Amino acid sequence: MKVRILRQQTPFSEPYWEVFDADVSGDTSVAGLLNYLNYHDDIVDENGRQTTRIGWECSCLQGMCGSCAMVINDVPRLACDTFVRDLGNEISIRPLQKFPVIHDLLTDRSSIYENLKKQNVYIEKYQPDTIKNRKKAEKEHQHQYDAAKCLKCGLCLEVCPNYVNGQSFFGAVFANDCYLVSSRNSEKKAEIKKLYGEHFGSTCSKSLSCMDVCPMNIPTIASMAKLNK
Amino acid sequence: MRDAIVIGSGISGMVTAIKLAEAGVHVLLASPFPSERSQSVMAAGGINAVMSRHEEGDSVSAHIEDTLKGGCYLAGEEAVKGLCESAEEIIEYLEGIGVVFSVDEAGRPARRAVGGHSYRRTCYCGSSTGKQIVSALVMEARRLEAAGLIKRALGKCFHSALIKDGVCYGALFFDEAFGNISAEYTDVVVVATGGQNALFGKTTGSTQCDGYTAGELFMQGVELKNLEFVQFHPTTIETSQKRMLVSEAARGEGGRLFYMDNGERVYFMEEKYGPKGNLMPRDIVSREIYSAGKDVFLDVSFLKDSDIESRLPEVRDLCKKYIGIDIAKEPIPVAPSVHFFMGGIAVHKNHETNIRDLFAVGECASMYHGANRLGGNSLLAAVHSGMIAAREIAGRDTKEDRPDFSSAAEEANRMLDKMKDTKSVFPVMYIRDMASETMNKSMGIIRSEESINEGIKDIDYYLSVAERLSYDNSVLPYFNYSLTGILTLARAALSCAESRKESRGAHYRSDHPDTLDDYAAATVISYENGQYKVRFDKENEYES
Repeated sequence: MKVRILRQQTPFSEPYWEVFDADVSGDTSVAGLLNYLNYHDDIVDENGRQTTRIGWECSCLQGMCGSCAMVINDVPRLACDTFVRDLGNEISIRPLQKFPVIHDLLTDRSSIYENLKKQNVYIEKYQPDTIKNRKKAEKEHQHQYDAAKCLKCGLCLEVCPNYVNGQSFFGAVFANDCYLVSSRNSEKKAEIKKLYGEHFGSTCSKSLSCMDVCPMNIPTIASMAKLNK
Repeated sequence: MRDAIVIGSGISGMVTAIKLAEAGVHVLLASPFPSERSQSVMAAGGINAVMSRHEEGDSVSAHIEDTLKGGCYLAGEEAVKGLCESAEEIIEYLEGIGVVFSVDEAGRPARRAVGGHSYRRTCYCGSSTGKQIVSALVMEARRLEAAGLIKRALGKCFHSALIKDGVCYGALFFDEAFGNISAEYTDVVVVATGGQNALFGKTTGSTQCDGYTAGELFMQGVELKNLEFVQFHPTTIETSQKRMLVSEAARGEGGRLFYMDNGERVYFMEEKYGPKGNLMPRDIVSREIYSAGKDVFLDVSFLKDSDIESRLPEVRDLCKKYIGIDIAKEPIPVAPSVHFFMGGIAVHKNHETNIRDLFAVGECASMYHGANRLGGNSLLAAVHSGMIAAREIAGRDTKEDRPDFSSAAEEANRMLDKMKDTKSVFPVMYIRDMASETMNKSMGIIRSEESINEGIKDIDYYLSVAERLSYDNSVLPYFNYSLTGILTLARAALSCAESRKESRGAHYRSDHPDTLDDYAAATVISYENGQYKVRFDKENEYES
């Protein structure tokens, strides 16, 4: 198979496509494919020219940490969680484009954290709503559990038609943390709803593409429903 | 105390930083990646605590006894007592900052049974307890970042500590953004860099936990402890990219281990150890699976679909995605894999190393687990150790004088430039792979004098090559400069394993299968002029 990778040596240099030949089984993940290209032998392009190793980052290698977020065949996905069997004979891999590239497939996603910090999105003290209806309480609890699983990987921002660079609209990652804070600390509900409106609710065009790509299947629409009330 | 540096931002690092900041200390929280990428997010099973509403018959002293017994009485009694006594307070703290625990009918953290415990005392958050704790701690750290007390420094890789006359004054870091090494001075350094996975290659843990910090500090005079005790998790699945853990929760919920013999299922753990056999400590289960010499399976298919859905959703998803198995219908093929390091940096009860003002917390420190760790005690120790260290540090004085280490930074940069100038594309990862192959062979589930000595010979060779290696300039300089530290740590681990001529907990020697009173003490190893010196801490100097 042919693997096209958008390379970039430094944050300031020009990006360029490089094509590699690879022979791996369909059960290999894209993370495994990148490791194969880097280390199965000397790294060469499709014409046999020696090149540099492909920069990318990983940690858990099993879809739990969000390190390896990238765009694979035009879909934002986690490399460790995407399998060659689902990608056809030509695979294209590029870095997330809504974040500055550091090197090859590595991007600087610090704006996600900066925005949450600047807007003081934190629980501080657990003060739950008193929900008498048991079923409703269980549903809410499950929603909180799901929201707290957010990897801060940035896939939802990459795919979002409204997210540009995180200057004013902060995307689904922000909305879900807002939901978590407002549902775990009832005293902050009003303050958080206001922030949510300013940096998400007022701009979101509800394409819900964020939910299609979320590796944790976080029900962002449910978070929105709670915060729009 | 004015300021501190915490290296590593998983659970133990964050707890230390948060508690220091709450005491008014300014903290630089340095790590290559954000907390969401730490190995802590992978901790699945739960966190132990005997709460005031405990199961009938349970008590804090029973938790202490189970922990000491699980660790084959090698862990310090006082330290374990402190750990277990603080557990309820820790759960309350975590609940208070918003961790989404799975709850009982009263809305309080529910508990499940986990291997090695006499009672049901493990609080949990579905199958992603670590992730849920990380999410809440990230928010707490964010609160203190916003208050200007914690400053996160991402893209910073540890290089070495700034130590003079037995006192630590800061650390050198390689900065990925600037591509160079710089010094950070401080009153106290806390190391929270996790386990030593890179020594064994494919493990259940994060690729980021490579043990380099422990190896480098060892070369700088910091003593290490109990490195021979490496825990193999009995139930992991093989995938193309790594070993993946099937949470102990699967057995906690009733999962049964078996192998096939003449077309019949043999529930070997239950046959040998009774109805609770599947929940025996990890070392015993791992050795039994290894000794079975057959393909072993874990069966949860008899559980109700709704129970699998509510209690084991992550296990279900993992098996479906990576090995195409529906756990509600089929048994899971499992085998043991390296999972946790009981050994690490030797610390006193306050978590300070033998170097003043240098502390270690979490998995990189060796303290509570002795020769083997019980499930649910690692998250507890991660939080507890951070709290203990922070309490100690907050009460310390600010340093009046700080020596000038600018020549150390200059020398480190000179060495780095030399590496960058080399044209070789010889990947250091190849040597790391070869070393991990050696470690798996020499320090696997069952060891012997012969296997360990083979390992020592190999690692000594790799170390001699590492010194002469032309470096690979197309990977991060960190991978290049970290090689010697990682190999030195591997060599130290082999020396510890060689010295302990008995079997105890996770350390099993086929040539010395019995547990001997002579070795009823922690192994302490130091590095002096290229020599590895092992002693047994019979005087309990690290218990104070």
